[in-house]
Amino acid sequence: MKRFESLGAWLFGAVFVSLSFAVALEVTLRKVFNVSLQGVDELGGYALAIGAGIAFSLALVARAHIRIDLMHERLPRGMRILMNLVSVWSLAALAVSLAFLAWFALSDSISMNSTTQTPWATPLRYPQAVWFAVLAVFAAVGIGSALRALRFALAGDGARVEREYGPRGTREELQEELADIKARGVTPVVTPSAGGER
Amino acid sequence: MSPEIAGLTGFFVMVGLMLFGMPIAATMMGVGLVGGMIAFGSAFFVSTASIAWGTLSENGLTAIPLFVLLGELLLRSGMADKMYQAFAAWFGRMPGGLLHTNIGCCALFAATSGSSVATAATVGTVALPSLQRHGYRMSDSLGSLAAGGTLGILIPPSVNMIIYGSMTNTSVGKLFIAGIIPGLLMAGAFMLYIGIKAVMMGDPVRHEKVPLADRMRALRSVTGPLVIFGMVMGSLYLGIATATESAAIGVVAALVLIAGTGKLSRELLGACFLSSARTTGMILLIVLAAFVLNLALSLTGVGEALTKWVTGFGLSQVQMLIALIGFYLVLGMFMDTLSMMVATIPLSFPVASALGVDPIWFGIFIVIMCELGLITPPVGMNLFVVQGIRPDRGGLEDVIRGVLPYAIIMIVVTLLLIAFPQIVLWLPGQM
Repeated sequence: MKRFESLGAWLFGAVFVSLSFAVALEVTLRKVFNVSLQGVDELGGYALAIGAGIAFSLALVARAHIRIDLMHERLPRGMRILMNLVSVWSLAALAVSLAFLAWFALSDSISMNSTTQTPWATPLRYPQAVWFAVLAVFAAVGIGSALRALRFALAGDGARVEREYGPRGTREELQEELADIKARGVTPVVTPSAGGER
Repeated sequence: MSPEIAGLTGFFVMVGLMLFGMPIAATMMGVGLVGGMIAFGSAFFVSTASIAWGTLSENGLTAIPLFVLLGELLLRSGMADKMYQAFAAWFGRMPGGLLHTNIGCCALFAATSGSSVATAATVGTVALPSLQRHGYRMSDSLGSLAAGGTLGILIPPSVNMIIYGSMTNTSVGKLFIAGIIPGLLMAGAFMLYIGIKAVMMGDPVRHEKVPLADRMRALRSVTGPLVIFGMVMGSLYLGIATATESAAIGVVAALVLIAGTGKLSRELLGACFLSSARTTGMILLIVLAAFVLNLALSLTGVGEALTKWVTGFGLSQVQMLIALIGFYLVLGMFMDTLSMMVATIPLSFPVASALGVDPIWFGIFIVIMCELGLITPPVGMNLFVVQGIRPDRGGLEDVIRGVLPYAIIMIVVTLLLIAFPQIVLWLPGQM
């Protein structure tokens, strides 16, 4: 899982860092030399579609898709476990629907031979095929975690369902930030008092 | 069932499911898909496909991952940590002392960082031990941190504004520029409150005077973030770049600056990429779900019926806005602010437009309502963040007591903006 996350993160980063350099170049050329690369906007759109697909999976693995834990904490234990199962299955259903939506869009573009209304006249099937691929991964990750949660529940390991599939509270997010702050070596400021230390 | 009843039922079912801990994105998308398919059958699913592609390949939204990445780079490279020292040197002698530093630092820090948890955690770690040692009341310290941390979504660049802009077809560049004066006004009002309170309570000045030369030297640590902020906002204001382009310029500038300090490493980049991918995935899935829900609302006519129903009460513009403050205040107590924003815009924006409210102005209004939601109990996220980093062992009620005045200030500033909409609209009008 760590390797999957790291691969996804670097792909995501590579997409947006290269896009940033392309855009910076385009803006410079446009303003300083009055020439345009054309189509960087279009590229930005594809970067988003593909980057978002990767990001959905990474957020799912990290339980970053928001759930409000206001009432959840107050439910009886059995209900909490049930809600966690329903949640992870609902995300799986969402992921599968998205993959289907992408498939519809892609097969439409293939059968209609659609191209974009831009100087490049890109055949839409290419970016949409990649888009479908990343969303298919998202669907697989979604179904995978839903099945895993179900297996724990059926084996009577409710504690594990709660631990690994419960809402990721602010506290947990904060702990991660604090660990990172410690790793970065951030230290408290020292400010001089009026009239020395008390 | 009449469309209004169907719409209201749907809305309350949706909010109910969210409150019981269902994932926000899945709930919104589910309600949208089910509602649309009840009305139109599988044809709705097919039209959702083009909405999904259209939303996710819209270059305007590309600004979201880029700004999130920019914030991560500034945060994790440590460029932002050093700002506190600089602010402390400048504000320490004012009545209220380091509390001003909390506000100022949060404002600048949050302006460049996408995550309010990360902002509050970093500033808190840097500041709280010092605040405690100098004898500041813990409730005051925590309140100023929690409230300061909300400024980030009002002071551009702001992810919330990008989402509002894309959902309502409003210029994100103008929204960013429009946020500057209200953001400074809000920060100024917070600092005014701190100063007045300190004078009234007879608080002593707690810090040595820092020589001007040292203060100027301290400013150097602020230059990096300020240069990036200036490039991003300057290119927008001068019309050189769109919001997405300015974000990309910011990312390149940050990478160059970090490389210049020799801190650009594999580990740093890996951590930034992973963290920004998670945040982006979370945000964009909710945005996508909101677009699907919006499609269902408009195709079924439920949205229009609800707008007619609400405008049918015959409230004036000002009365409606005041009613909306109440609505968002209550909703914000229980809902996560991003979810609250995307779930309500399809309903509140048409109502506001029908009453002639300027879309840019309304965007700033919505963002301030989100800020308020960040600090209102029981679910205000910033309350829990600062509670989680305090060095002593007090209860959450200290934080709530400390933050309450700021919530009141936010409402007062909002009323001021209702009375004088030009505070928001003047600067973008100059573009």
